[in-house]
Amino acid sequence: MKAVETDVLIIGAGPAGLAAAFETASRGLDVTVIDESLSLGGQLIQQTQNLSSLPSDLSPMRGFELAAHLIKQIEEYDIRYLLGHRVIGFYQDGTIGITDEVDVFPVKTKKMIVATGAAENAVAFPKWTLPGVLTIGAAQTLINRDFVKPGNDAVIVGSSDFAMDVALQLSEVGVQVKGIVEKSTGVLSRNTEKVKQVNKIGIPIYVDSSIVEARGMGAVEEIVIKQEDRVFTEKADLVCIDGGRSPILDIFYQLGTSFGFQKELGGWVPQYNKDFQTDCKDVFLAGNAAGVSTQGALVLTGRLAGMNVCEALGAVSKETAAVEKKGLWKELEIVETKYNLDIWHARNRHVDNFTHPVLKDQFIS
Amino acid sequence: MHIKHHPVLGKKLQNPVTIYFNDQPYTAYEQQTVAAALMANDIKRLGSSRNLVQPRGLFCTRGRCCSCYATVNGENHVRTCMTRVEDGMKIYPNDEDPEVRGESCGD
Repeated sequence: MKAVETDVLIIGAGPAGLAAAFETASRGLDVTVIDESLSLGGQLIQQTQNLSSLPSDLSPMRGFELAAHLIKQIEEYDIRYLLGHRVIGFYQDGTIGITDEVDVFPVKTKKMIVATGAAENAVAFPKWTLPGVLTIGAAQTLINRDFVKPGNDAVIVGSSDFAMDVALQLSEVGVQVKGIVEKSTGVLSRNTEKVKQVNKIGIPIYVDSSIVEARGMGAVEEIVIKQEDRVFTEKADLVCIDGGRSPILDIFYQLGTSFGFQKELGGWVPQYNKDFQTDCKDVFLAGNAAGVSTQGALVLTGRLAGMNVCEALGAVSKETAAVEKKGLWKELEIVETKYNLDIWHARNRHVDNFTHPVLKDQFIS
Repeated sequence: MHIKHHPVLGKKLQNPVTIYFNDQPYTAYEQQTVAAALMANDIKRLGSSRNLVQPRGLFCTRGRCCSCYATVNGENHVRTCMTRVEDGMKIYPNDEDPEVRGESCGD
């Protein structure tokens, strides 16, 4: 048993969790960071693309560089890291159950910041469960984190900004991207520069198109594409599904927070107020768990949640907190309106809805 | 296939180890996860579904979908995308339900 008592428990060590860790640890609080992965940085560690829309104090950089920056920032503080650990339950006496996959031990915390991130959505078509069909994030993880080429001939289903990034990265490691299939009538990516690059290296984008089925014995070998009245087959041993992302909510279900639905934020999102506080008063949230957004916004929401926890625990004065929070919200507005105005509007609607939660104490999956 | 030279990150693969899938030896590198190392060796089918006996393999690489379950060093239902390789690791596909420990067979 290695029971832990702490001021702040941060669940998730991605951009939001690390930013929150800096805010809280740098103001003298006892901070514990837990992540089920074995490394800090969350999904940033395999992001080799340049990140636009970062907060004004950060220069443009690649995703893994942002992870390194956020990690370096908290190096000097005595933070307790529980990597390779998972939260498995919340008990009536307020204790939190944590497992290292062998034992379970209790954690007691004054405040909690949930920064569990988002999970990729699947897009189903006949035989989509064949091995070789991956999420687009999985394909990126394999090439940039594990240094594994997941196939020779790829087809990408979906055309977001992220799909364009990964299409280019796959090509750079020698995967032939045979095509990008988009069901809408136009490319979803707003990054015209990236789309241009994809066009330039000769990757066809089929809009108004869909997957009829995947085929293969034991693994995907072919994919059948329907474009208007034309049906054709591509040889592919890798199919990458770009179905967007949704907040990871398991922790919130267990805590019994209320939820609201915001399509632009990725679907169901825990209700929270302007302080990134849920209706469980000791539970704050940040990052993609508070609505899927750009990396810059993830860092800013992490800082906001951290600042609010500092205020709640008396680590900063009300006056200082008010000034800091105002600045952070302003910055969040700049970053989010520049990246995607719909997300900014949805976030504000969501925060306004806090007093009128759509769902209370209800499991949705 | 292992990426020996990455266009952005350079040479990163170090410390090769040997892992066994169905008793056959394969080369992996210490920083890789089991599922990734197997994919590098063109092993994609890691198990089969119980009901319709359909092939299953790596899908999300994030430990959420559980499609990459395999038996690793005698332990059933290991998320191979969240487990790093170790030298001499023995991996078998997840083709049937595990034997449940205990005195009675249970239900």
